[in-house]
Amino acid sequence: MTLELMPDIVLGTLLLLMAWGALYAPTRYDAMALFVAFGVVVALIWARLGAPDLALAEAAIGAGLTGVLLMQAARQLPAEVSVTGKRMPWFGSSLLFLVLTCAMFAAHILTDSSFKQAGIDTSATRLLGGPTVPEMVTAALPNSGVSYPVTAVLLNFRAWDTMLELLVLLLALTGVRQLYPGTPQHPRANTASSPQAWPVLLSWARFLAPLLVLLGGFLLWRGASGPGGAFQAGALLASAAVMLRLTGLLPPLRWSSFLLRLTVILGALLFLGVALASLAFGDGWLVYPTQWAGALIIVIELAATLSIAVTLSLLVIGESEDLAS
Amino acid sequence: MTYALVSLSIPLLSALVLMLAGARLSKRNAGIMAILTSLLSLVAAWFCLLDVAAANQSILLNLGGWENGLAIRLRLSPLSSLLLLFAAFMHVLIGIYAGFSRQSVSRDFWTLSCVLHGSLAALWLSADLFNLYITLELLGLTAVAMVALAGKKAYKPASNYLILSLVASLFYLLGVALVYGRYGSLDVVLLGLQTQSDTTTRIALLVMTAGLMLKAALWPLHLWLPAAHANAPTAVSALLSGLVVKGPIFILWLLWSEVAPVDLAQQIGPVLAVAGMIALVAGGLSAMRSPYLKTLVAYSTVAQLGYAMMALGLLMTWQLPQMHVALWLFVIAHGLAKATLFLAAGEMQTTLGTKRVSGLRGATQTVPVAMFAFAVAGGSLIGLPPSGGFLAKWVLLEPMLSSPQNWPWAFGVLLGTLVSAAYIFRVVAISFDRARINPPDVRPDRLGHWLALLPALMVWGMALIGEWLIEFLSGGGV
Repeated sequence: MTLELMPDIVLGTLLLLMAWGALYAPTRYDAMALFVAFGVVVALIWARLGAPDLALAEAAIGAGLTGVLLMQAARQLPAEVSVTGKRMPWFGSSLLFLVLTCAMFAAHILTDSSFKQAGIDTSATRLLGGPTVPEMVTAALPNSGVSYPVTAVLLNFRAWDTMLELLVLLLALTGVRQLYPGTPQHPRANTASSPQAWPVLLSWARFLAPLLVLLGGFLLWRGASGPGGAFQAGALLASAAVMLRLTGLLPPLRWSSFLLRLTVILGALLFLGVALASLAFGDGWLVYPTQWAGALIIVIELAATLSIAVTLSLLVIGESEDLAS
Repeated sequence: MTYALVSLSIPLLSALVLMLAGARLSKRNAGIMAILTSLLSLVAAWFCLLDVAAANQSILLNLGGWENGLAIRLRLSPLSSLLLLFAAFMHVLIGIYAGFSRQSVSRDFWTLSCVLHGSLAALWLSADLFNLYITLELLGLTAVAMVALAGKKAYKPASNYLILSLVASLFYLLGVALVYGRYGSLDVVLLGLQTQSDTTTRIALLVMTAGLMLKAALWPLHLWLPAAHANAPTAVSALLSGLVVKGPIFILWLLWSEVAPVDLAQQIGPVLAVAGMIALVAGGLSAMRSPYLKTLVAYSTVAQLGYAMMALGLLMTWQLPQMHVALWLFVIAHGLAKATLFLAAGEMQTTLGTKRVSGLRGATQTVPVAMFAFAVAGGSLIGLPPSGGFLAKWVLLEPMLSSPQNWPWAFGVLLGTLVSAAYIFRVVAISFDRARINPPDVRPDRLGHWLALLPALMVWGMALIGEWLIEFLSGGGV
């Protein structure tokens, strides 16, 4: 065992501990805190694996926004009953299942050598003797309009996937809106829906929000040449909005406002518009003209960032009077 | 291919416009717009079908103009063009029902149904494992949101559905990651040329199969379906049972008929076929015992999907091209028949004011059209000639009866037929009980009843174009 392996082992063990803790913590708040910590460890692991894009997204969405969401949900739940001595009826059988699965898996690996080879044998991942996908990406990168391969894959080579993912986000919001049918019964005044925040929190929020906006803008700009891009930037902007809303510095975001709805669908609408325009006037569905590719990607990313930011913040802090149509 | 892309993008565009318009568009106008959208998409799908029939082979398109392996590939096969048409038709029909019959739907139904239509079209056209994952996710989330449209009583089934659907998606994604790690490709056509039956491939395929079976509610992973489908609004139940569960089946079929190595498929095939047989009997028995009409229809979906799974399992075992035809004829016949069953059940529930099967006493007299539609569609589910269900069952039975060692499978089909007949005739028998009529609460809604009858007549009409359908599906459907 080399010294280099130590951080990985520590992180891996920590991850399992956090997961265990989040599942079996005695109180709700302990479980939520451990879940947020779990998200942070996952982000660290992604960074360690050389995937800074994923690390950023995980830290912002997995740990940050999901943490807020859990706290908000916990606030609305009835006080929790004591869970000490609660029996876990499936615990024994699921442990047995786990052990059996692991044993079967180990037996497979011992008897079949292809599993061990898969990670090492690079010729296996070649397309019928052709170049591998990373090689193809590198070769096609100059024509993609950006210089960072991850962004090129997300917004050019596999742009159709990204477009559908934007729709997934929209759908999540539409799904949440179904929980608040009709118009609200008691429209509240335009004040914070949370209790009055501490003065320290207020001043921190005032200080942090511009920084977060700046950082989000930087990440978006950086996406063309390095780790960053629309999802990360959108998540950061959303976290700024969530913070301001929770401290009462931002008025409620209302679904009934046309401008808000336009911002929410802007990313997907622009993407679909580009696809249709390229089908009608260009060389085919989502074929960008080479000289315009860079500019198109920036515009789409900008629109997508705004949509993602607003959608995520609505998902986290939207309450019945905000979301009802 | 252009027509296919048009047929795909019209509903997506319309969904975005509906979302943007919000309350500015009255509910009725939103409905009319969604119906017109589906109609336009239907026309585009028809031209697309003509294109494929003229070309007589699958058309491939690399999105973005990038090379194979780098780009996402779309494929327009005869089967996918037929499914495009089928999905568009179902949306038009159910849209008209939801918009103009007495059943009211909320405004968001129209947005969701447009997204559902678009994501199904994207699914039928995709030939890329990761792209299929995203369409699957879209499909699942739309379905959950649509179940939640029914209000508070549907929240619990909807949230169960959401959690199971997410777990299933993650299973599928894990398999996709394993496949990509092993072969460095996500393209279905390219993967089909290079897969080998080693441990990684085996684990990946099994994990994906488990996820997709959970999504498609194939036995024994079907327990979420009856609650979710029975609690949704009537129009939504028809869409869910008729279309949504067919998406995962399409991916499952793609995986095992194209991606999986043949020897692995032959090993797993019998297991799926036996599971299908058990689904037929177990689902049928549950339907027979269910006290509620909609739950009965939902359990019948579980049972009927057993035929599809049996056809898939036998396709894998025997590698007979005929089984492709059987599988897809089942899917289309079941989709049409199930639309009728749910619409008729919904209409009878509202008119008679009861959810119970026993409340249908005298329904032949009080709601004759809906009851007739129910019985006619039920006939196709049982497989009475000359319905679409009979056509599919005949194609499935032919190779079974041709050699004596296959007769046990035929016995399974026979058993399934008997159980289907039992639960359909249970409803029909009660409805003829004119001695103790359950009087209707309101006058029957004419339009709703006749709309319910339409797909039932179409499924019987499938026999008229049966020869053409079989030729079209076997002439390059794979």
